[in-house]
Amino acid sequence: MHEEPFRWVEAIANRREYIEDQLAPGSPIVALGFRDGVLLFTLSRERQKIFEIYDRIGLGGIGHPGDLERLRLTAIELASTEGFARSADDVALRRLANYSLSPALKAAFEQIYGPPFLARLLFAELGRGDAPNLFLRLDYDGSIRTNGGGFGRAFEDFGVIAGKQHAIAQMEAAMREHAHSALNLADALRLAARTWSTGHLALSADSDAAAPDASRVAAHLREHLANASVEAAVLEKDAPLPATYRALAEDEVRSAIT
Amino acid sequence: MIPHFSTQIPAALTVGAPTDFAAVLRHHGLAPQPPEIGSRQSQIGDQPFAPTHATTILAFKFADGVLVAGDRRATAGNTIMYDRADKVLEIDRHSLMAIAGVPATAWEMARVLEHSFHFFRRTQLAEMSLEGKVRALSKLLRDNLGFVLQGVGVVVPIFATFDAAAKIPRVYFYDPMGAQFEAADFAATGSGSPAVRAVLHYENSYARKPLRKLKGSEAVLLALRALDTAAESDSATGGVDRHARVFPIVKMITARGIETLPDAKLAKLYKANLAN
Repeated sequence: MHEEPFRWVEAIANRREYIEDQLAPGSPIVALGFRDGVLLFTLSRERQKIFEIYDRIGLGGIGHPGDLERLRLTAIELASTEGFARSADDVALRRLANYSLSPALKAAFEQIYGPPFLARLLFAELGRGDAPNLFLRLDYDGSIRTNGGGFGRAFEDFGVIAGKQHAIAQMEAAMREHAHSALNLADALRLAARTWSTGHLALSADSDAAAPDASRVAAHLREHLANASVEAAVLEKDAPLPATYRALAEDEVRSAIT
Repeated sequence: MIPHFSTQIPAALTVGAPTDFAAVLRHHGLAPQPPEIGSRQSQIGDQPFAPTHATTILAFKFADGVLVAGDRRATAGNTIMYDRADKVLEIDRHSLMAIAGVPATAWEMARVLEHSFHFFRRTQLAEMSLEGKVRALSKLLRDNLGFVLQGVGVVVPIFATFDAAAKIPRVYFYDPMGAQFEAADFAATGSGSPAVRAVLHYENSYARKPLRKLKGSEAVLLALRALDTAAESDSATGGVDRHARVFPIVKMITARGIETLPDAKLAKLYKANLAN
């Protein structure tokens, strides 16, 4: 098959379609900057989807649990050994994604006799001092999209992922409508929950359907809050120790958004 | 070959989920290697090789929690290497490790320990148990035995923490091979420890009140006096250097977390309570 480029391209296209199908039901994950740091938010049914990677890096992931677990552990191991051998200040999300994870994902995706990673990851890194926060989406094929600020793209203080591309687009559009970098935690949680609901509605709608109105978004959120668990974590600017990650208690989150 | 930070394939991609950070370090070749048996370098030229040592440390329980203190001196043989060494290291929000012995090994050990606790929490999605933390230090000491036998890496630490479940402070001390002992009231190690133990035992048994009833400022004053008493007879202990304004490191662990006493406060407390 390697001698036949066309069949390789076809195999890759089939593989892409297969993975997109597998990821399609993935519940949206929202990350945004707010007054006190960075918030990560999602609703989940089965298992934890938001994780601590290092002192200033959090992760949200959708996909196959086994693949997510391998990538999560790899990211923790890389960050921890770097932080140990040099300094915690030398651990940078951009390097972790660009030089370590992305090449590994791309290689697994394109070696068509081996299994690819069924995973879509959203990393968030709390900016040091006055530096901006970094939100980085890393896909199963190793492709990376960040929250901009360079190469002519406007900076955005958020990042989102979902099972389908049009859901991601609608969530991004919803986030752009609200200035949120100065919100307090409760307001940031409410915005994240509405954005989650917008994305989750889009998963079951046609890709060209218009964005749902506010009342539908609110009703959908209420319906799912009743039978799913809420997950949220913050990377806190004023954390007492270098480790800034803190998982929020479920009742703390629920009382803010209901 | 996957290019990344340390240019080695992460253990997570090859050997399944690692839980032990020390094992990860060995996998990446980042763990210290003891010199081979028989290669002991006891001489450098015609001088005997004397690795740097840091002494003296103490910990005792008082009314609000546990106090951990260490003098500031590091020595190599007869030479004073450093008079501002920090031998009381914060491992997490409620744990302190104090070190007596060779700083090169001890500070590395503290780094491994700190990273181990974070690594466990991040990978296993749960805080390491108190028992697990105490054992982790014990295992590091055991792993260090190669250095100890070569005569270059003896570390005798004290580990103090606040047991969140039982809401009581705990103090552990170790021997160089990793045996752990839980102290009932106090522990002291390092070259000045005989004097410190004598002072603490005397205070605990025969003074107006036992260590556990001491208020915060009384505990701090006692720690300063115990270290200064040790320095009186042990040249390797720095004690309280009133001229250079170098004071011991004094930290307290209470239910609220760790508090480091500022030098100004130590100076004021110490001077206000001198006999002459």
